[in-house]
Formats: sequence, C-alpha cells, structure tokens
Amino acid sequence: MAIIGALAAGLGAGGLYAVIGVCLVLMATLTRVINFSQVAVGVYAAFLAIRFVPLGVPPWGIVLIALIVGAAVSALLGWIIATWLPEATGTARSAVTVAGLLFFLSVSYLQFGTRPQALVPLVSGPLVSFGVVTITKLSLALILLAVALAVVSKLVLTKTPLGVQLRAISDRQTAAELIGINVKVLQIGVWAFTGAVMALAISFAGNSQAANAGVMVNLIIPGAAAALIGAFKRMDLAIIGGILLGGIQGLLTAIPSINLLRDWIPIIIIVIFLLWSQRKEVWDVAR
Amino acid sequence: MSLAERTTRGRRVGRPLVIAVIALAIAAGFAFGLPAYIVFLATTVLVSMIALLGLGVVTGTAGMISLMQLTFAAVGAWVAEFLAINTPLGTMFGGFSFIFIMLIAGLAAAVLGLLVGLPALRLRGVNLAVLTLGVAAAADATFQKISFPDAWTNVRMPRPFDFPADPAGDRYYFLFTAVVTILICLGVYFLQSSRWGASWKSVAFSERGTASTGTSVRWAKLTAFSVSAFIGGISGVLLAAQISKVNFMTFLPINSLALYVLAIVAGAHLIDMALFGGILFVLVPEILKQFGVPLEWGNIVFAILGVQALTSNSNLGQDIRNSIFRRRRKRLGLGIAEKSLDTLEGGETIPIPIGTGRTLLTVRDVGVEFGAVKALQHVTLDVTEGSILGLIGPNGAGKSTFVDALTGFLPQHTGEFVLDGVPLQGKLVHQRAKLGLRRTYQQDRVPPTLTVGAFVNFVTNGQASEAEIDEVLDFFGCPTASTPISVVDVGTRRLVEVAANVAARPKLLVLDEPAAGLSHEEHIEFGQRLRLVPGKYGVTIIIIEHDLDLVRSVCSTITVLNFGQVLATGKQDEVLSDPEVLKAYMGETEML
Repeated sequence: MAIIGALAAGLGAGGLYAVIGVCLVLMATLTRVINFSQVAVGVYAAFLAIRFVPLGVPPWGIVLIALIVGAAVSALLGWIIATWLPEATGTARSAVTVAGLLFFLSVSYLQFGTRPQALVPLVSGPLVSFGVVTITKLSLALILLAVALAVVSKLVLTKTPLGVQLRAISDRQTAAELIGINVKVLQIGVWAFTGAVMALAISFAGNSQAANAGVMVNLIIPGAAAALIGAFKRMDLAIIGGILLGGIQGLLTAIPSINLLRDWIPIIIIVIFLLWSQRKEVWDVAR
Repeated sequence: MSLAERTTRGRRVGRPLVIAVIALAIAAGFAFGLPAYIVFLATTVLVSMIALLGLGVVTGTAGMISLMQLTFAAVGAWVAEFLAINTPLGTMFGGFSFIFIMLIAGLAAAVLGLLVGLPALRLRGVNLAVLTLGVAAAADATFQKISFPDAWTNVRMPRPFDFPADPAGDRYYFLFTAVVTILICLGVYFLQSSRWGASWKSVAFSERGTASTGTSVRWAKLTAFSVSAFIGGISGVLLAAQISKVNFMTFLPINSLALYVLAIVAGAHLIDMALFGGILFVLVPEILKQFGVPLEWGNIVFAILGVQALTSNSNLGQDIRNSIFRRRRKRLGLGIAEKSLDTLEGGETIPIPIGTGRTLLTVRDVGVEFGAVKALQHVTLDVTEGSILGLIGPNGAGKSTFVDALTGFLPQHTGEFVLDGVPLQGKLVHQRAKLGLRRTYQQDRVPPTLTVGAFVNFVTNGQASEAEIDEVLDFFGCPTASTPISVVDVGTRRLVEVAANVAARPKLLVLDEPAAGLSHEEHIEFGQRLRLVPGKYGVTIIIIEHDLDLVRSVCSTITVLNFGQVLATGKQDEVLSDPEVLKAYMGETEML
C-alpha cells in the first residue's frame, strides 16, 4: 500500500512532465525546434508575476500576468529564430534555445535572486484519499491540463483552417510559404501559445516541485523524456510517458536505498527509448 | 621524400613547438612578474581554456552537441580528490603523484565520455543534446548527494610538488598549469591535423562520406568524445587543486551551458580562440565584480553573443581566419578558388581503356527491396579490370541503389558481390573501402572545414605523398592543396572528391554523376582525363552518368538499368544501339 501511495505521490510531478512534454511536441512538430528554454520561460513568467502579489493583484490577475509574460518572452525568442534561421536545420534552431535557456535563467537569478520563490500552487490539498494513498487536486489539475492541451491542439490542428495551415508549415515549410501562408507569424504564434501554457503550468504547480529558478528549469529534462516517448511527434504518448515517469520517480522515493539512482531514471529512460527508436538510424542521412 | 617536402613537413611540426616555447616563456614572466591576484585569475583562465579545448574537439570539430563539459571536469576532480586524499597514491610518487593522479582522473572522465559517446552512434543533433544535458543534471544531483572527498575528510586537495596554497604557491601552480595547458594545446593541435582530426571534421559533415573513405564512423565519434572528456577531466583536476576545495556548485550544469555557448561564439576548436574564450569566461565576471554588477550579467552577455553566433552561423575565430585568408588571396591577386579544366594535349587521341580481360568485380543476382518496392532485381554483371563501365538508366532505375548495395550501405541486399576474389558479404562500409572499393557521391560530401590537401590526405588514408597529391590535383584541374574547401565552388568540390579517391588508388572506384557541376566543355576535358585513369593510376571505374556524350567517350562497356533490372549489358556500341535501350531512354513516342 505504501508503494501505491508513493506512486500516487509522483502523479503531480508526472502531470507537470506531461504538460512540458506536450508543449515540446507541439514546438517540435510545428516550429522544428526542441525548445530547451521551454520551462525557463514559464518559470521566469511565473516568478515575475508574483512580484505583483504585494500590490494587491488578485490570484487570477497574477496568473493572467504570468500568461502574458510567458507568451511575450517566448514569442521574442521565436521571433529571433523565425527571422534569422528560417531555413536552418532543427539542430541549429534548437541550439539557439540553449542560449535562450542560459539567458532566461540568468535573468531569473538577477531579478529574483537565487533563493526559493514564494510561488504558491493554485490548487492544493487532497482530492481523494484511501489510507496512505492520496491523489492531490494538483495532480489531477496538471494531468487535466496536459490532456486538455493535447485534445484542444489536436482539434485545432485537424478541424480548423488554422490547423491546416499549421500542419502545412510543419510538413513542408517552403511549399506552405509558396502558397501564401505567413509562416513567420504562425510560428511565432505557436511560440507564444506554448510560452503561455508553460507559465500557466508553472503557476499551477507552484514551488512544490523545487526551489529556485535554477532547480526548476531542470524540469526540462524529465519533460523532454516525456516528449521523447512520443518521439517529439505524438502528444498522447508524451502524456502517458510523463505520468509514467512521475509515477516511477514517486515509487523510487519509497525505496531509500536507491536514492542515488533516482536522479538517473529520466536519463536512463531517455537513452533506452532513444536507442530503441533510433536503432535503424545507422547513418546521418537517408542516402 | 624530397627536400621541399621535408621542409614543409618540418615547418608543420616545428612552428607549434616554437610557439609553445614562447608561450612557456611568457607564462614564466606572468607567474613571477604580476600581482598575486592576477596570477590566480590567470590560472582560472587556463583551466577554462582547457575545458573549452575539450569542448572544441567534440562540438567544434566533430560537430556533436555536448552540454556536459563540466560534468567531465567534476568527474575528474572527484576521482583526483578521492585518489589523493583517500588512497596511498596521493603520496606514493612524491611530488609526481599529482601527475599520475591527474592522468588517471582524466582517463576516468574519458571512460564516462566513451559511455556517453556510445549512444551518440545512433543519436544525433538535438537528441544528443537532450541526452548530454540529462546526464549533466543527473550527475549534478549525484554530486550534491555524495559530495566531494575534501568535504568528507576536511583534507584539502594537494597541489603538485607540494606547492603551498598561498600566493607564492599560486605562482608555481600557475606555471605548472601553464605547462599542462601548453602540452594539451600541442596534443590537440597535432590530433586536429592527424587522421583522427580529419575523421572528426569529416564525420561532422557527413557520416556516409566518412565511412566510404575507409574510416569507421564509430571510431571517429568515440575518440572525439573520449578525447574531449579526458581534457575536460584534466581541467577539473587542475581546478580542484587550484581552489583546493570544490563542491557541486563549481560544476553546475548551467556553467556547462555557458561554456557550450562560449565555445560556439569563439570557435573553441581553434587553440587561440579557446584561450580567448577562457579569458572571456573569467574576465567578463571579473569585470562585473569590479564594478559591483551581479555576475549573472556575464551569462546574459554570453547568451546574447551565442544567439548572435548561432543565428549568423559563424564564430569569431573562423571569421578572423577567413578575412585574413581573403586578404592574402587578394594581395596575391587570386580570385575565388576556381580553376577550370585546361585542354589536355592530345586528349582526343587517348583510346578508351578496354582493360586487362581479367574480371575484377562479379555481381551475381543482386536484389534490394524497400518494403514492397523492388528497387533492384536479379542484377548480374562483371567488371573487367582496367576498364571503365558505364552504368546508365532513367531516373529511379536503381543506379544509386546499386552503388549503395555494392559499397555496403544496404547490408540487407540479396545476391553477392565479389571484388578481386574477396566476397563482400557481411563487410561494413569502411572495411569495403579498405579492401579497395571507393565511391563518390551525387551530393556534396566534401567537408568544408578541411583544406583540399588535408582532404586528399584523409581520403587516401595518408598513403599518398605530398608530391602525388599535388600531381593528382593538378591532373584534375583542382585548386592547390593549401586551399580551404570552404572557398571552393560545389562543382569543383566534386572534382576534388574524384581526385582524392583516385589518389587513394582503390581497385575499383564508383563515380556517381561526377561531372554534374561542370560545363559541357569541361565534361569533354574530364572524360579525356578519365580515360587515362585506369592506365595511369591502376584504378578500374564504374561511372554513373546522365550525359551520354561523356559515357560514350569513356566507357568500353555499358550496363543499362531500368526498373531495377538489367536491360542490357555489353559493348558500348551494341548496347547504345539496342532498340530496348533507346525505348527506355527516349520513350516510345520518340521512336515512332
């Protein structure tokens, strides 16, 4: 029973991984970028927003500020990439986000210091409890956010004219440009959207996960592991991957003797999964 | 070896050594002539430079994204502290113990590098970046938990030769660090200009291209990662001994990110630029500190520089070198590195080589299937030694698939290839290349980071002398050996690729549309030279070409592929007058 309790305790983290994973999948498919700065943007936005708490801004106002800031700074990075690296490879475009991660993390330290931030989770407390097994409201909220994000994205992509344009960019960017789709604006829109979602997710999760910005941005790694389970293509698998990963990590906390191994679980999952999925990629190019 | 050759080779070895001696003299002056605080900072510059040099190998030269350079440093520091503090090795060899420990710690980091390099055999680009960042984060968490040996025992990491941890000791330690740095610079320089270095540059540009020169891609990637990690490990040991107490904060993953971005900005595969990067890495935070500005601004500056470097796809070191190169060429009155094929005297009278009559390559019943698509079926043909076989056919006929199967890129093919009595079944691409089977590509697979001469040297596996390299380059009308490939136009790069592979003197060379970038006149000149190749260099040739004029002018025998099957094979005139062949090429309506 204690083990199931530990498993359930990991669901909150798992939900957050799932949200990050879905955002990364959206970015990878629609803008050809593995966004290393994804979490850093959300953390920066959420931390900036709580500066307004002492001014008497209500909680929904704080979240709104976080959303706007997240969308804006993410769009800024997207604008840089869309302007100067429109035709570059995914690797080159992604490398810029490594510099972006460094930038946002340093700005976070600079503005907010290196101490833990008083970022209170939006929802807290248990949802249901059976003995030692507790599922928190936060776990459910984050998982629902991930699922809602995936479902809405899927609906927009498959059912609306905007979705058709986005998929056209995703499949053949040059062809999409030639038929008059404004690739740059749409891609920056995707950046802004995922930036806002990330800010929302971090606002939801609050500081229950970690301490300062430096520790929080490490969430990108399990998030990327979740996205990798979906091969940076499938949102459903990213959600399942994220939840599983959180669950496994929770489970491992119940076994203190492998304390050290716990930190290595995400990366080991990444490696095994990637090696399996890329086992036929013997060469760098198809021909 | 001629006298001229010996002097250029001598200069290549001698100049770095002279620079090393000068650098050592400057370091000695620094160590005892400057204020203690500056000397301490200068030590940090050198340590950062070493870390950057290591990163330059894997990221700058071999083109793989590594976001964990300080993890290698942390492993090096941890192992060194453990050995120095907790084992008798710390005092076993007196003052020299430190050097032994440093090498062992470097090797320990190299082992980790090898382990990370293993997934890099299948993972590329961003996937590899995610992996290295993940390892960095996991190692960071582990180091937080287990902490460094100096913290368990409260014993400080000793310095070499018992240099004390005071300002006087700092001066000696700076000199020691300078010696290690210079040795590593020399090592990196000679490795970069060796076959290993060429294989790293080649693998960064094209894995297929690398394998078909007879170099194992696996080996190139693993050596790059291991060398990089070894150097990273050494930098960690030196840092631990410099500040004598380290903890996980010293090696935070974010600093690895900053180091990566800095390596991109400066171009850390170039030694002077690694020094410049090291200075930036230390000086920027130091200046900020002097002015009371928070240190985080340093990383912000690096990040902005990094975005600039990445978006403009350039780095400082390469930009400076390119501009010097351009200025020198301008001064010498040279245009861009273009050289057209001159008329070969008596070229028209060179006969088409018919070969020795002995069969060099036998192809029996070869087939390739991609799912339901049968790309090749029952292909059977023979290639006579010393001849030129033309492989022609409409687009999608299976010509390139045939070459891929022959050279080992499609191990799932059926049937068999036998080259000079050796069955090729089960042999990897680079093994086939070593057996004397080479190919060129339709795409540009010539790494632009090498010079023309270094590329030819790499492709020939060092078998051709400089005189031979110059001769073959001149024969095919290529730019001189010292020309960087980056300034050579794509059509001429194809000629360089052909020249290099001819210089490797393989038994069989497969040319996949070698003349695609050339004008019609150059096609004819190229054909005349090609007719000489079997006799002059002892190389048998299979040529895939769409220009039937070129095929007609060089091939004694022709094989026509259509829909993956051999439509006709035999003597040139017979095949080209075959009505089936004409139908496949011209279409039926044209025949009417």
